[in-house]
Amino acid sequence: MLLKRGRNKLRMLSTEGATTTDRGVNCCGCESLPTLASEILVKAMKRSRVPDVFSNRKKVRVTGTAHNWEESSISPSEVASETKAALLYLRSLVNVQVFEDRIPPIVFKQQVYSIVKCKTAADKQINDLREKKEIKLFRLGKESDTFAIVFTDDYREHVRRTMADGPAKERFLDTVLEKTSDVSLDKKTMTDLGFKDEEITQLLHGGVLNVRDVGSWWIAIPGAGIFMKCFNKGRDSILRSIRKSKYQKILQQELEDRKLRAVQKLGIQYHIHDIIGAELVTRLDTTSGTMLRLDQ
Amino acid sequence: MLSFLEERRNGCKKPELLVRAEVTRRAFCLELSKGRDVQRIHQSGINTLDIDPTEGKYLLSGGSMGVIAVFDIETVPAAKEVTCEAVCTVGRSNKHVHKRSVETVQWYPHDTGMFTSSSTDCLLKVWDTNALVPAETFTMDKPIYCHDMSPIATKHCLIGVASQSSHISLCDLKTGSPTHILKGHRAAVMCVKWSPKQEFLLASGSQDNKLMLWDIRKAKGCLMALDQHNGEAVGHSSTAVRTAHSGHVNGLCFTEDGLRLLSYGTDDRLRLWDVVTGKNTLVNFGKVTNDGRKNVKLAVSSGAVPDAAFVPNTADVAVFDVQNGELVYDLKGHYSNVNCCTFHPLFQEVYSGGNDSNILLWEPDEGRVVDRGEEKQVKQKKGRTFYGQTMTATEDTWSSDEDG
Repeated sequence: MLLKRGRNKLRMLSTEGATTTDRGVNCCGCESLPTLASEILVKAMKRSRVPDVFSNRKKVRVTGTAHNWEESSISPSEVASETKAALLYLRSLVNVQVFEDRIPPIVFKQQVYSIVKCKTAADKQINDLREKKEIKLFRLGKESDTFAIVFTDDYREHVRRTMADGPAKERFLDTVLEKTSDVSLDKKTMTDLGFKDEEITQLLHGGVLNVRDVGSWWIAIPGAGIFMKCFNKGRDSILRSIRKSKYQKILQQELEDRKLRAVQKLGIQYHIHDIIGAELVTRLDTTSGTMLRLDQ
Repeated sequence: MLSFLEERRNGCKKPELLVRAEVTRRAFCLELSKGRDVQRIHQSGINTLDIDPTEGKYLLSGGSMGVIAVFDIETVPAAKEVTCEAVCTVGRSNKHVHKRSVETVQWYPHDTGMFTSSSTDCLLKVWDTNALVPAETFTMDKPIYCHDMSPIATKHCLIGVASQSSHISLCDLKTGSPTHILKGHRAAVMCVKWSPKQEFLLASGSQDNKLMLWDIRKAKGCLMALDQHNGEAVGHSSTAVRTAHSGHVNGLCFTEDGLRLLSYGTDDRLRLWDVVTGKNTLVNFGKVTNDGRKNVKLAVSSGAVPDAAFVPNTADVAVFDVQNGELVYDLKGHYSNVNCCTFHPLFQEVYSGGNDSNILLWEPDEGRVVDRGEEKQVKQKKGRTFYGQTMTATEDTWSSDEDG
């Protein structure tokens, strides 16, 4: 009996547009089954995205025996959140040796979106890390909402190394890095923090401040120019190669195998995370692997 | 679900929870209706749709040729093969029809005897539904993009009109003339919406990238202009004040509880605002493509937790989870740009209209399969009898039933 039911189901799945006679032959008089396997797949995908209102899905619970918090040396608050883990991974993709140590490891905020699924949660965790002064956000790039993230320790080391010595430098590192988490500074905040005009000019020359408007400045990364040039070249070259492919889509594996010169410095994985997170391409799962499709 | 029902029977869960859970489930699993559709009346793009708030029985639609049509959408939701027919239309032959495209139509909030329509020919007409004659016409000096009337107002009968001029006119139905002007925007106002819970609160979005909240009782000016960065100095220049989007604000929708406001801008972003404090809740919806030429009508589900937002996104309607900004899925069915969508609160259905002159009906997916088999056979018996059995193109006539 079971075998017969199975055979009927398979047959209905394979023929398209089953006629009445086929559908009528059904054991136990149960309702007609969906005719195509793809229909079942689509329904399953939709079901997984609908919020679990009736508490049907079992939540996986990690039992207490997995890790004993009282005896371990790490406290629960020290365990990296998902976003922090993503940031550490992305930072490891940047090879500062290639740039002759002229830049700190810079990561873009949109790259995190390609790793962490929920954008709002990623934003919130990035803001938390920023409040705790573990990372620093900078405005880099053409659009008004592209942010670059550098870990505070890396940034401090980089400024110490590249900027000429002076009282302004130490004061900047003490006040602006430790106390504030802004992206830009204006004249009033600078005078409040005790910076005189000559010191502001020194900071501008050192590359730590960039002009934004009359009387206001962006906090910047000294030497970010070479990084941005390389990054923009790499991004454009990847997008161009996807655009030239037929149907503007390409398998991720094939893209990684293509050796593009402009991409070698930062690495193909870095660029792939960037274009996915900036929503310039969409990532699709296919039977041959992940495919990247260019959005119009 | 059965355990849920059991707990409701025991008293462990309240009955309202079941209603809320089922409404949420239905709001999130929509698909193109298999058996029902709306009669095709419009010959050109459909710009606006509205369902009457009193009974949910009639659908009002306005098109870009000035045609207004009223459809009767009251059917049992699980009915097979029903076409919602047009009850009456204001066609091109009507003496009082709008000369240019109708941008917004809205039912009178308290009964279906009256509806209002505004168009880019600078006129706001108040129609009597039974006679199909405008009872009142308000003339503005610039093309009107949007108008809205408060659904709960008892102390006033004002219609907020958003037009190409930078001020918002409030037209009074009782006296028949514009009474107020709200000044504050610097460019054309593209959308205007009254709050569903506070009768004096109005939100407006304009081409100067600002979203302003107004209390119409306040004489001096707007309550506040919403700032996308929440006061942080992150914009391009330090003097760029308090913009809600980095592009024109195209669409506005309040959530049912009136506590949050969803705005859609041509910078391809959706933003969710907290109405009480005016802060950006920083929910990240990702990139939602927006053409931006005219007002786009969004819809938010009512009664579901978390709410679902239905946003026209080129040729699809994107369904977002309002709480965490996730794109749940796309409703694909239109052949061209979608201009408007509206949510039916009683049956959790969505009606959407677009430039392909179709009004599509999206129903919750119950796993029901429309069995057309018996109906087709019946039809054949009445007509010609020499065609014995229907043959589908993919069926072959040589393999037998016994083989796998």
